[in-house]
Amino acid sequence: MTSVSTMAMPSGSRTRRHVKLPFGALPIPSLLLVAFGLILPLLLMARYSLAVYNPADIIAEGLTLENYLKFFTDPFYREVLGRTVWVAALTTLFCLVLGIPAAYVISRTKSPVLRTVLILGSIIPLLMGNAVRVAGWMVLLADRGLVNETLLVLNVVDAPVRIMYTLTAVLLSLVAVLLPFMIITLQSVFDRIDGAYEEAAATLGAPPWTAFFRIFVPLSMPGIFSGGLLVFILSMNAYASPVLLGGPTFHMMAPMVYEQAVKVFNWPFAASLAFVLMFATLVLTVVSSVVLQKKYGRM
Amino acid sequence: MTFLTRSGDKIFHIAIIGLAALAFLELIVPLASVIWVSFFENKIINFPPKGYTLDWYANAWNMPRFREGFLMSLKVGFVATMVSMLVGVPAAIFLARTQFWGREMIQTILLGPLIVPGIVAGSALFMFLIGFEVATGVQIAQTFAGLCLAHSLIALPWTIRLVTASLVGMDRQVEEAALTLGARPFTVFRRITLPAIRPGIFAGGLFAFVISFVDLEKSLFLVGPGSTTLPIAIINYLEWSIDPTIAAVATVQIAAITLVMVVTDRFFKLTRAF
Repeated sequence: MTSVSTMAMPSGSRTRRHVKLPFGALPIPSLLLVAFGLILPLLLMARYSLAVYNPADIIAEGLTLENYLKFFTDPFYREVLGRTVWVAALTTLFCLVLGIPAAYVISRTKSPVLRTVLILGSIIPLLMGNAVRVAGWMVLLADRGLVNETLLVLNVVDAPVRIMYTLTAVLLSLVAVLLPFMIITLQSVFDRIDGAYEEAAATLGAPPWTAFFRIFVPLSMPGIFSGGLLVFILSMNAYASPVLLGGPTFHMMAPMVYEQAVKVFNWPFAASLAFVLMFATLVLTVVSSVVLQKKYGRM
Repeated sequence: MTFLTRSGDKIFHIAIIGLAALAFLELIVPLASVIWVSFFENKIINFPPKGYTLDWYANAWNMPRFREGFLMSLKVGFVATMVSMLVGVPAAIFLARTQFWGREMIQTILLGPLIVPGIVAGSALFMFLIGFEVATGVQIAQTFAGLCLAHSLIALPWTIRLVTASLVGMDRQVEEAALTLGARPFTVFRRITLPAIRPGIFAGGLFAFVISFVDLEKSLFLVGPGSTTLPIAIINYLEWSIDPTIAAVATVQIAAITLVMVVTDRFFKLTRAF
């Protein structure tokens, strides 16, 4: 530090005392916005999830666990939760398989131009929004979409293949929607891992596979874990992909929350669905972090 | 390194580069196809295309739901950006300039709209606003105001993040020198701090606009007749048909966001925003 800043310090703190009140007030407007736009609504929803459903009235009345019981005793809803977890797990797996190599290439490339191009190539699709990217997948995968038309022209198939409204279609679009989060998270972690470790392993005779899986992957485990977690949480809550590419019979949790809240207008049940979704995400997050911590030590 | 090269090295590099290429294809192909199809001459998607046309753009603009959706998204994005700047910039200054014990907690609360999933937060806000309407008779859900409220909220964490980043990155000695020389704190803010963080403020605002413009999950609960945003208009249309018209609409959204991103990148390297 130079002498200027040491001289300025006492004066700075004296001035701060003068403006203490307005300074402390600076975050208040935004805190109010979050309080009224998010926190109070969440509290009200918690209340609704314990209310008795009355089709004639939306006022929350009574105190019951009926809504949660309905969810866990009805095999239909349990299956929806199961499918949601399954789809989220598969999406996370594919995002890891594609995202780790992509981030590895970004962080190990020697060309700054390629690096910038690839980073922008992952950020820009992210900012385009889900609606546009889902539209892209529908253009590709529809019965008369680009993929089927190409297969027909090339005489690979005689009739269009059903790709839409399958698990494959949902996974393709979900992976594309969430992959940028994975790549960006991983790339910033990979950048901090010194290439010297891999070189040392290579010098000592380790084949690249061994160096990658025994040295690089364990070193970057915290980043891989947080990237995986982010993708998992976001896919548990996915809306557009299951609705549009999964079709009306591919039920997942987020679309069901919407349906119950807006179409059926059963708020107590919608509220409990939303909390089950949040709680399931939370439990799986905690369990997976405990398991991974046992395997790889503290993160 | 070369003396270590074995055939295993080669397979390893091919596998890594192959998977990475697949990852970028997965990201780019859907966007590229939607842009390409929007110029197809046929009314149904046909490959190879018989010819190319711009008619679908005119067609899309002539459909009120897309024209109004686009204008509504622009208006909501503008208001949300302004609100999130007005309340977010002071909060960012607070977060960057304090060692107050509750700082972490305030930061977590302010980043809350980013943490709570859109569907959960959207349904909660929907119930809250309808409940408010029942209690007071003032309608906010399914109006322009309701959309602006929800969008200001999702834009807020991004504004705060980007502005805080530029505040933390700036040299504080200039501010301190001005204070030592007798400038009042507000003058220091107006003449020194503000000009120094202007790029961060611009970028935060533009980012907030994009985040608002493309939002789907929260808007879903709050749109109503006469106040529907473009992404909602797109997915409502997609439920029934997929044709070059919707591809044209999607391409317009892609173009609008690319434009904003190019401008943003001039003030603030996009690669630093995450």
